[in-house]
Amino acid sequence: MTKITPNEIKIISKYIYDISGIYLDQTKIYLFETRLGPLLEKEGFSSYSELYQKARADPGKKLEIKIIDAISTNETLFFRDTGPFEVLRHKVVPDIIDARSAKFSGLLPTSIRIWSAACSTGQEIYSIAIVLKELLPDMKKYNIKLLGTDISDAAVAQASYGKYNKFEIERGLAKDKLQKYFSLSGNTWKIKDEIRAMASFRKLNLMLPFAALGKFDIVFCRNVAIYFNMEDRKKLFNKIADLLAPDGCLIVGSTETLSGICPRFEPKRHMRSIFYQLKK
Amino acid sequence: MKDLKILFVDDDPVTRKLMEKKLQIEEYETTIAVNGVEAVDFISKYRFDVVLTDLMMPGGVDGIGVLQATKEKSPQTDVVLITAYASIDNAVTAMRQGAFDYLQKPINFDELFLLLDKISNLKKLGKAAGDLREAMDVTECNAAQTIQDLEMSVSELNGKISEISHILSKKNVDAAKRVSIALDIISAT
Ligand SMILES: C[S@@+](CC[C@H](N)C(=O)[O-])C[C@H]1O[C@@H](n2cnc3c(N)ncnc32)[C@H](O)[C@@H]1O
Repeated sequence: MTKITPNEIKIISKYIYDISGIYLDQTKIYLFETRLGPLLEKEGFSSYSELYQKARADPGKKLEIKIIDAISTNETLFFRDTGPFEVLRHKVVPDIIDARSAKFSGLLPTSIRIWSAACSTGQEIYSIAIVLKELLPDMKKYNIKLLGTDISDAAVAQASYGKYNKFEIERGLAKDKLQKYFSLSGNTWKIKDEIRAMASFRKLNLMLPFAALGKFDIVFCRNVAIYFNMEDRKKLFNKIADLLAPDGCLIVGSTETLSGICPRFEPKRHMRSIFYQLKK
Repeated sequence: MKDLKILFVDDDPVTRKLMEKKLQIEEYETTIAVNGVEAVDFISKYRFDVVLTDLMMPGGVDGIGVLQATKEKSPQTDVVLITAYASIDNAVTAMRQGAFDYLQKPINFDELFLLLDKISNLKKLGKAAGDLREAMDVTECNAAQTIQDLEMSVSELNGKISEISHILSKKNVDAAKRVSIALDIISAT
């Protein structure tokens, strides 16, 4: 296997930071070699410098995409941490619906927009969709839009297909939900159309401006800011605060906090979980 | 003793004897079934790590039937099919239905034992990954609870601090009074 030199580590981690905001620990040599090594071999490059040079010179960004796919940690599962989905079911969605339907007294379908800001292979957004489906039997009364975005093309593509292998499907999904919302074809499980149709997906780098996405009532931004440095985390959550509805809510990863990162949010507790709302 | 529990299924007595002996020498814990029907009965009662079955068997339950019964009962169990050259196509069909691998007759025992080693290693790896995931889940769950508790108290303390600084800066209120209100805020829970 090709070894990576200290200088190459410096160059490559700076490059990865520039294209994705992912901040890699330069002492973790194995991380570079195990994640980028196979790409190096497949592309037939003899050194990491060559990988870097070719990636920079590629106008189609094909190599850049491959590097992001290789370096990003897409680890996710259905109903990860359970708490946030309980919050969604018992607190956040009912509150929003109460507030909105009081305001518009049934003239228009109540609209709810939800964003999974680093959706990886889609498990998070489909878990949200399943909660909504079960919570709101009469879907027609609502105008629900779910958006999943991620920087990794491969992850977004899989999310969009809604296809999972048996290892992915086993994680976090109770048997009854599996039977109800997925169908088996060959060795893969596919999300049923009724759930798939609730969500849309697109590629998005959270380091770039995203105000054009519009306003959201609920934002899931979980387990992605942990890969960014403090400055970038601050910027990210500020941008999220900008596009969150005044009564909207933000859910972060179970081991993440916003103290010292974004004072515009205040934590609220519901049962054993926390969600954030904008300070009044 | 090796760590794999094996069920061997074959309707031919000579093959059964030979296989039993070979597996015994290699110290595998082995159960023998004389046909598919008996195999299905064993599978419903006991748990095996590997089911090694002949593909073509008389009596209603063939190798595919054994495979299906195994996967139904315990998906973790790996099934290896043994097949004559003429029925390779069936073996491929079986792979699609979740068989781990197939071996051709006459059985090459070196090949069989290599395959069993491979299965054993994969099982160990799977177990290690499962343990790791479980350990990570427990740690993450604990960390999450601690972090979220801290987050709530930080937010509460921040609230108190801003209330206190608001009170203390009220020039029109008597200094002693301000301090006393501030102390009240601090001691309130
Ligand atoms: C560990 S997954 C989290 C998935 C899901 N939110 C969860 O909590 O289970 C992290 C995801 O963040 C994505 N990611 C990393 N950097 C990103 C960036 N700059 N913009 C958007 N997504 C990014 C990765 O591609 C990866 O899919």
